Amino acid sequence: MKEKLGKLTENLDYTLLLAVVFLCFYGILVLYSSTRISSSSIPADPFLYVKRQSLWIVWGFIFLIIIIFIDYHKLERYSQLIYFVAIILLVMVIISGRSTYGARRWLSIGPFDFQPSEFAKIALIIFLADFLSKNKLKLDNFFYFLLPFAYTGILIFLVFKQPDLGTSLVYLVILIMMLFVVGAKIKYLMTVFLIALSSVPVLWFCLKEYQKRRLILFLNPNLDPLGGGYNIIQSKIAIGSGSFLGKGLFNGLQSQLNFLPAQHTDFIFSVVGEELGFVGAILLLGLYVIVLWRGIKIALEARDLLGTLLATGAVSFLFFHIVVNIGMAMGILPATGLPLPFLSYGGSFMISNLVVIGILLNVELHKVRW
Amino acid sequence: MKESSNVPEDVKQRINWLLIFIIICFSFLVINLWYLQIIKGGEFKERAVENCIRSLVEDAPRGHIYDRQGEILVTNRPAVVISIIPAEVDNLEELSKRLGKIIGLSEDVIVQKVKKHTDNPFKPVQILDDCKKDIVIEIEEKKEELKGVILEVKPRRNYLYQELAAHCLGYVGEIDKEELQKLGNPKFQGGDIIGKAGLEKYYDDILRGEKGGKEVEVDALGREIATLLFQKPVPGKDLVLTIDKDLQIYGENLLYGKKGSIILSNPYTGEILALVNRPSFNPNLFAGGISYSDWERLSSDPEYPLTNRSIQSAYPPGSAFKIVTAIAALEEGITDRKRKVYCSGTFKLADQIFTCWKESGHGSLSIIDAIAHSCNIYFYTMGKELGIERFSKYMHKFGLEEKVGIDLPAEVLGIIPSTEWKQREFKQIWFPGDDINLSIGQGYLLLTPLQIHSIICAVTTEGEIYRLHLVKEIISPEGNVVKRIKPEISRKVSISANTFQIVKEGLRATILKGTGWRANSKELSIAGKTGTAQNPQGETHAWFAGFAPYENPEVCITVFVENGGEGGEIAAPIARAMLEKYFEVKM
Ligand SMILES: [Zn+2]
Repeated sequence: MKEKLGKLTENLDYTLLLAVVFLCFYGILVLYSSTRISSSSIPADPFLYVKRQSLWIVWGFIFLIIIIFIDYHKLERYSQLIYFVAIILLVMVIISGRSTYGARRWLSIGPFDFQPSEFAKIALIIFLADFLSKNKLKLDNFFYFLLPFAYTGILIFLVFKQPDLGTSLVYLVILIMMLFVVGAKIKYLMTVFLIALSSVPVLWFCLKEYQKRRLILFLNPNLDPLGGGYNIIQSKIAIGSGSFLGKGLFNGLQSQLNFLPAQHTDFIFSVVGEELGFVGAILLLGLYVIVLWRGIKIALEARDLLGTLLATGAVSFLFFHIVVNIGMAMGILPATGLPLPFLSYGGSFMISNLVVIGILLNVELHKVRW
Repeated sequence: MKESSNVPEDVKQRINWLLIFIIICFSFLVINLWYLQIIKGGEFKERAVENCIRSLVEDAPRGHIYDRQGEILVTNRPAVVISIIPAEVDNLEELSKRLGKIIGLSEDVIVQKVKKHTDNPFKPVQILDDCKKDIVIEIEEKKEELKGVILEVKPRRNYLYQELAAHCLGYVGEIDKEELQKLGNPKFQGGDIIGKAGLEKYYDDILRGEKGGKEVEVDALGREIATLLFQKPVPGKDLVLTIDKDLQIYGENLLYGKKGSIILSNPYTGEILALVNRPSFNPNLFAGGISYSDWERLSSDPEYPLTNRSIQSAYPPGSAFKIVTAIAALEEGITDRKRKVYCSGTFKLADQIFTCWKESGHGSLSIIDAIAHSCNIYFYTMGKELGIERFSKYMHKFGLEEKVGIDLPAEVLGIIPSTEWKQREFKQIWFPGDDINLSIGQGYLLLTPLQIHSIICAVTTEGEIYRLHLVKEIISPEGNVVKRIKPEISRKVSISANTFQIVKEGLRATILKGTGWRANSKELSIAGKTGTAQNPQGETHAWFAGFAPYENPEVCITVFVENGGEGGEIAAPIARAMLEKYFEVKM
């Protein structure tokens, strides 16, 4: 044990860990700025959100440490079990989940409000890494190539039912990026892409009304008959008005007056843009770049394909969330409701972010045989 | 110890491609950020400062109120309100001076009003309500120099017939602190208009509708650039009353200059055709927030014009209550159709002497004659023999210790004396003399006109009291009937048919040869009981409670005139006129 601890401290990727710690602090600061003034007239604890988020960060790090200690090679034994647990949890949400904003995404387990779709992201990364690393050569067969689509499709179907368009896309992107990295034929990937593109009109009819509206409003937010484009316009004004240095923390006019809905969850980047300006936003992006760069490095230097794929999945997950969320806040991508890693308020998401970092650190740690 | 990686070269190649893709995406984000914050930054900054988001509440028009024939009684009219948005004002004193000149208010008054509302600087503060057209035009013209001043059009309650049925219709007003606390956020906010009295209050949920609102982006001059959020207000639903407007007008004219009330209803459905209360008030005074002087005048008026006398005050019923005494005596077998009592004009109980209203006495009378001539001695005898315990049983059967129930707020309870009640209130036992007083509806007994009305309804239908109500139908803004109020029996009074028959004969005899002769109509067979109630406030109260036609009843009526004099002289003719009008309107 003592030897193991020694190896651990020796081989840990401190750059990655430090970047994540900085991101968490950055997130707490911005969260405090955006939530300290209660939107209702009832006075509330200005630290309420910060306290909860901090608690979740602590939980996230506890999970992260647990994960570091388990050699990722042991995961392959449980990968199928984890996948099935994810399916069962998602089914449970559909049956008994708690509803927020007309969408069922939550499951109450003990004192926690737990989002199984977050757990499923991690389950999917582990399951696909295991499956693809074992079947790399068979993927040249088109039907074998389609098999992981079927596995992922079940999860997508279940979260789509909730309904959660954004998360479905996360699963799909994780799958495609992992397939790409493992060496799937570009021809096959293009085929699937074309099939997906041609089925868009069909899918359109499966979308809920509010999802359709979000897409339409993305195309023309000024059209805005029902208020959905309001978020996007306000977010753009907030970010734009931040200029180079920002208005200073706690001084964002748009943010402080609560013009921005969901400013502590989906639209937290607007608060960064407005109050900390271009400098603050670039600093944030820089921290993300460090995290993703270390992730890619870990994938390249992993001991085996399983490690590489685990790292690839982790990077895909974080990357997609970052780009889509920031793109949405700036009005260049549709509002899919994906939160920003380490910054957006929310327990399940914060914990899954740190678990994914735990996986990366684990792969890095075990690149040499102990 | 270090091993070389087992990751295949092609995978590494792919990872590098992935890295390039990530770099491209991030570069794209940085470029966009640069564009938004550095290139367009100044413009957005201006927009964020200069352009304000205004939240404007759009009140839902309240539902209309119609009479039973579909004649409109209450509607809404547009009123222009001048408000100031504090957040958009540069110099409040300067602005107040300019605005004050136009609307005729002093600078200080306006400044005070704005400074009182500091909670949300973006919420308009109302300065002048319901302003005149020329003022509106002037403000529109001088918009440039009145930055922060806005004009809002709000629906305003309009009672077309002024005082008509004011106590039924009620009035509306701005929600007050207690109501806000009770009804709660976020459904209600300060400044909301809600029903304060009458049907406006009772059916507030139905009439009010749902307010809408919009958030608009405005430029430095207050011009709307874009509507960001828009929620259409949902108009309230309409009410169709059971009240007949013509009958109501006629009744209000009959009671003009008097204090009192008239209740006219269909005993078999509970529909109230007219509910007159005098004196009355003009609910339009309340519509835009009542002025202090108007409120002072109405609330301190010794005639209590705001009180709905038919349900909110209890009075001694006098001889009208003999109906209940007669029923109790007949049911308990103390008297029957044949039993006669001799009236000499006086009645002795121990060393007390009670008199009949006819000093010379009525001679020998049956129960029917006793009702017709309202002979006190006959009913004293009944009261004495019944005793309070048995009497209480019948008052209970009529439900007199409870509210009658009507779709209006604030109905009050009367006073129904009993041995326990007297012990509780006066720490005294029940004396035999109390029986005597109760038997003719005097003493401690107090009833609301609505309670007397419920008694006469029960007699008319021979035992069934239908829930009295003022609303017939609820109609959606599109004109569809949402709800039709069905007749519903609220109480069954178990009394034998024979008893009812005898009492009804007595009521008919009252009109034909007794105290109610002034209610005798050539075209119409009316039955009823008069009452002249002594009271400590002065002149006697005049009562009449009856129904028509005698053979085949269609309507019940209760007339009450406070300090009006004799029931037969004052109340009976009003009842006759009202009933004749009913059958005339019906034709
Ligand atoms: Zn007599």
